[in-house]
Amino acid sequence: MSRFFTTGSDSESESSLSGEELVTKPVGGNYGKQPLLLSEDEEDTKRVVRSAKDKRFEELTNLIRTIRNAMKIRDVTKCLEEFELLGKAYGKAKSIVDKEGVPRFYIRILADLEDYLNELWEDKEGKKKMNKNNAKALSTLRQKIRKYNRDFELEAHLLNWECMTELSGGGVGWTDGWRASMIVLSLPSVQNPEQSADEDAEKNEEDSEGSSDEDEDEDGVSAATFLKKKSEAPSGESRKFLKKMDDEDEDSEDSEDDEDWDTGSTSSDSDSEEEEGKQTALASRFLKKAPTTDEDKKAAEKKREDKAKKKHDRKSKRLDEEEEDNEGGEWERVRGGVPLVKEKPKMFAKGTEITHAVVIKKLNEILQARGKKGTDRAAQIELLQLLVQIAAENNLGEGVIVKIKFNIIASLYDYNPNLATYMKPEMWGKCLDCINELMDILFANPNIFVGENILEESENLHNADQPLRVRGCILTLVERMDEEFTKIMQNTDPHSQEYVEHLKDEAQVCAIIERVQRYLEEKGTTEEVCRIYLLRILHTYYKFDYKAHQRQLTPPEGSSKSEQDQAENEGEDSAVLMERLCKYIYAKDRTDRIRTCAILCHIYHHALHSRWYQARDLMLMSHLQDNIQHADPPVQILYNRTMVQLGICAFRQGLTKDAHNALLDIQSSGRAKELLGQGLLLRSLQERNQEQEKVERRRQVPFHLHINLELLECVYLVSAMLLEIPYMAAHESDARRRMISKQFHHQLRVGERQPLLGPPESMREHVVAASKAMKMGDWKTCHSFIINEKMNGKVWDLFPEADKVRTMLVRKIQEESLRTYLFTYSSVYDSISMETLSDMFELDLPTVHSIISKMIINEELMASLDQPTQTVVMHRTEPTAQQNLALQLAEKLGSLVENNERVFDHKQGTYGATSEVNQKDGYRKTRATCAAVATASSHLKQPT
Amino acid sequence: MYSRHAQRITPGNKMASRKEGTGSTATSSSSTTGAAGKGKGKGGSGDSAVKQVQIDGLVVLKIIKHYQEEGQGTEVVQGVLLGLVVEDRLEITNCFPFPQHTEDDADFDEVQYQMEMMRSLRHVNIDHLHVGWYQSTYYGSFVTRALLDSQFSYQHAIEESVVLIYDPIKTAQGSLSLKAYRLTPKLMEVCKEKDFPEALKKANITFEYMFEEVPIVIKNSHLINVLMWELEKKSAVADKHELLSLASSNHLGKNLQLLMDRVDEMSQDIVKYNTYMRNTSKQQQQKHQYQQRRQQENMQRQSRGEPPLPEEDLSKLFKPPQPPARMDSLLIAGQINTYCQNIKEFTAQNLGKLFMAQALQEYNN
Repeated sequence: MSRFFTTGSDSESESSLSGEELVTKPVGGNYGKQPLLLSEDEEDTKRVVRSAKDKRFEELTNLIRTIRNAMKIRDVTKCLEEFELLGKAYGKAKSIVDKEGVPRFYIRILADLEDYLNELWEDKEGKKKMNKNNAKALSTLRQKIRKYNRDFELEAHLLNWECMTELSGGGVGWTDGWRASMIVLSLPSVQNPEQSADEDAEKNEEDSEGSSDEDEDEDGVSAATFLKKKSEAPSGESRKFLKKMDDEDEDSEDSEDDEDWDTGSTSSDSDSEEEEGKQTALASRFLKKAPTTDEDKKAAEKKREDKAKKKHDRKSKRLDEEEEDNEGGEWERVRGGVPLVKEKPKMFAKGTEITHAVVIKKLNEILQARGKKGTDRAAQIELLQLLVQIAAENNLGEGVIVKIKFNIIASLYDYNPNLATYMKPEMWGKCLDCINELMDILFANPNIFVGENILEESENLHNADQPLRVRGCILTLVERMDEEFTKIMQNTDPHSQEYVEHLKDEAQVCAIIERVQRYLEEKGTTEEVCRIYLLRILHTYYKFDYKAHQRQLTPPEGSSKSEQDQAENEGEDSAVLMERLCKYIYAKDRTDRIRTCAILCHIYHHALHSRWYQARDLMLMSHLQDNIQHADPPVQILYNRTMVQLGICAFRQGLTKDAHNALLDIQSSGRAKELLGQGLLLRSLQERNQEQEKVERRRQVPFHLHINLELLECVYLVSAMLLEIPYMAAHESDARRRMISKQFHHQLRVGERQPLLGPPESMREHVVAASKAMKMGDWKTCHSFIINEKMNGKVWDLFPEADKVRTMLVRKIQEESLRTYLFTYSSVYDSISMETLSDMFELDLPTVHSIISKMIINEELMASLDQPTQTVVMHRTEPTAQQNLALQLAEKLGSLVENNERVFDHKQGTYGATSEVNQKDGYRKTRATCAAVATASSHLKQPT
Repeated sequence: MYSRHAQRITPGNKMASRKEGTGSTATSSSSTTGAAGKGKGKGGSGDSAVKQVQIDGLVVLKIIKHYQEEGQGTEVVQGVLLGLVVEDRLEITNCFPFPQHTEDDADFDEVQYQMEMMRSLRHVNIDHLHVGWYQSTYYGSFVTRALLDSQFSYQHAIEESVVLIYDPIKTAQGSLSLKAYRLTPKLMEVCKEKDFPEALKKANITFEYMFEEVPIVIKNSHLINVLMWELEKKSAVADKHELLSLASSNHLGKNLQLLMDRVDEMSQDIVKYNTYMRNTSKQQQQKHQYQQRRQQENMQRQSRGEPPLPEEDLSKLFKPPQPPARMDSLLIAGQINTYCQNIKEFTAQNLGKLFMAQALQEYNN
């Protein structure tokens, strides 16, 4: 300690520090509610011979300590338990209390606890976060303490008043006084590692310092003035001063405290005097900065780790010390502020000239610790950041800074030990900032060459004559950043506000990618450009370009457009952008994967913007369907997404058949959710082990990329309905008719199985109800089932051009209903006027004409058109139900006979003659049956 | 259809048979022996104990009523026939239904119920000898394993027993359809052996010889006949001419559908049989090859003066494939036959009706 305080720059920095603190002192006030009575307690445990009073009081103090600890970690349940114990212990100590009066510390804890609880109570946010037990305990404890305190009130008043009078500084309330002392007492956690060798001494020091500080506060003496005094006064004086303060302290403190303070003050050695200036400064800094003692503890732990790690290196030890100083307060806030000025010299030995070599050496030292067990990653990041600052201050050139920045970002990524966990928001923010800064530097200094192929040895960090060469790959960093972003999104609840907050970062991510893209376009190799393009594509393809859409809707009207509109419309159409990026990749990329992804994204983008034909052609020309099963799962997921989008696009265009075909594979599996990477199936949970599940979880697509599954299913079912219902009607009695869509049939069956059919609720029920209506050729009912308020809300409004889709859908329903009607009821008609049909289905005559013509041409409808009267004349050549059955039977018998003959062939010679007879007989019989049926059906044809 | 198990403890019956579709098992020992004795005495060497079945009108009405009340759709109703054997004629004078089973009275005791029933009937001086059972049918689909099994156990215990098949659908069309069936003695033999594939092969039986139909005579007392005449005079004309209904498509369609199903099953059976054949022949070949190899080896060994290889159990090496069940296909064939008969009958009738209608129309014009 003394070593470091003899350095010249010391006092300046100290004073400047304390000067600053003066201003911000009041902020620390609230901190005082979480004091630490460490020193007294530790002292107590050493005692061997104790009076009854001591024993009782020790019991109490022990309990109080536990309560305080619990308070610190916000463990209200623990608090409650301990409080109850305390009450009991107090009851036991009643006799002594009667004799001695209520101990001050007891009242203190009561007051503290009440304050603390009130604070917690007010803190609505915190209360929400609290777990249930704690919240319950909080309310119970609050009530208990209120009641308890009421009993105590009188005494408390008395004491309060006493204290007021006792205190020397009338302006300061006693509570404030002791609070201040508590704060100081919490100092041990910021011990200097060098000192910790002599624990006892240290404690004493702290005690003394604490007391002095306390006094200082009580007297209203500012740290600055005190410091001044100290620097002026010789050591002897300061000692006296200390003594005096201690005396004062004894006066003000309770009797039981006296002993502690006594020992503290008497045993304080010269070290403490020298240190006290710093300590007080620290103490006051505490008042200002440290938000929670927890933080301090953590910091202390970190320090200890640091110490163990770096003991061997003297230089790094210094660094360490400085680090501690830095972390004594909350390190984050300190970073840019005053401490840096102070710490700079300590990073390196005093007087060391900061050169490249030194900085690089330092950097390597830090980096060596990377990945080792016990290395504190947070501290490492901190160190690196400091190093950057130092480098910047000493004008070591951009090369070094870039190099260090690379390493900072790498350490940020390293911060999380395993792949599954995602970055904390603050880390993430830091990371983004860092990358941005790095990009700034790179853009500002075009003479810096960055590349992963540059070897460490061939790096040129400072030679200004030659272009700077730095090892590192900006592209990898950005790719990693993108991964981290995905991870963050995956791990956030998609329905929370948090998700929206995170999603806002997406713009930033895109901006960075764009910058990197610009940078690489200038400097990178084609391969790198391809990669960054893909990244850009991946952030573009799923977004619907509303601006471009708007522009399309309102064709440019010359100069009538306002300025604002034009400004809005600036920027590339995403379509053009996609086209440019993808074409580049198609031309230049040599790895298959990037091209595949690019193609899929391109198709997706086309499909999203309703450019069906481009999308389809691209899909067909790429031949992806043939070999996609060899791709890795993420690409397959992308492929599935693309197919689905393609199907939905086809549906919007009114191409039901294409839509159905595109969606068939996804929907028929019943695992759409899994195939699209939008969630894990519960069913297969037990089938896969932990490891697999983790892998699968990592594959999930973030929520903002999701395709609405209900929309998907609805689109599929409706297209299936439009295809299947007429088909079913046409092949009513065909035994060999195949189902077009299994899933649709399944839904129909589910609908039929319903014992009581209420009005449809879910989307599926709507479609089923509509299908039933369509089966009867009742298009109006069908229409009302498919398009209504509920379905609009659930499905149709999700489309960008909802109205267009709806119009298309109505028309489709009319057409298909007409077809179904004709199939179903053609046997009832001799002829039917097309005008009637056009009235019935509200279609215009030419459409009806074309539909019927098509049916006739396809031989679906046995009829002819009578042009002059505009009627359809049925031929009535279709077989009746019985005839159909008879035909089917004949067919079946045919196959039976065939099988039978095969058996017969088999038997000849090999088997006994008996069964031969048997079989022959059977064969004859079936033939006879065949004939009988044939005659029966032929006879039945005649009459009407 | 519901199935239940019942132990049959009657003299002369060695085995406990598993019965499906009926539970009318318990007969008082005295009646059984008496009936059996009579049957043997009159029927001679068991060629056919009963040549004719005479049914009281009461029984017919009771059966019809039973179905009306309880049967619907494909569900069948069953009951017990009571009567006695007179010479080679089986007179069925009364019957009572089996109660319809529901899930919740699973512990209902069939045997107990029948005993109770017969005892009560005896009290009112009604024939209480168990002579068979009746069952309703859905479009003539009654040739099933269950029917075969229960009829076998009946005939095994009470030689003269018959099963009455009542077709409500045909009856609704205007002509009462009630048929009495018995298992042929050949089939009885086969069933007794219990080893169907082998026994069937040996017996050389086909579906035509599975069941024999016994002619039925419905006998009413004179009083009833008089009443019938009375009623006939009073009834409206339309009631009597359901028979002339020309609506045939539904019935025919149904029959065809059922026939098709059966044909499908038949095809499957044949395919199964085909694969069985293939497998056996393949195995035969393997067996043959193996034997030849063995022989060659032994010859070589002999020439070298070594002892021949020990004989191995070939049946262990080559397990013959499971032959398909013959009885099932036989039953299916029988069922197909029944359907065909039905259709033939039906279409013949319909054709007649249609010609009649045509002639009528021409006459009217």
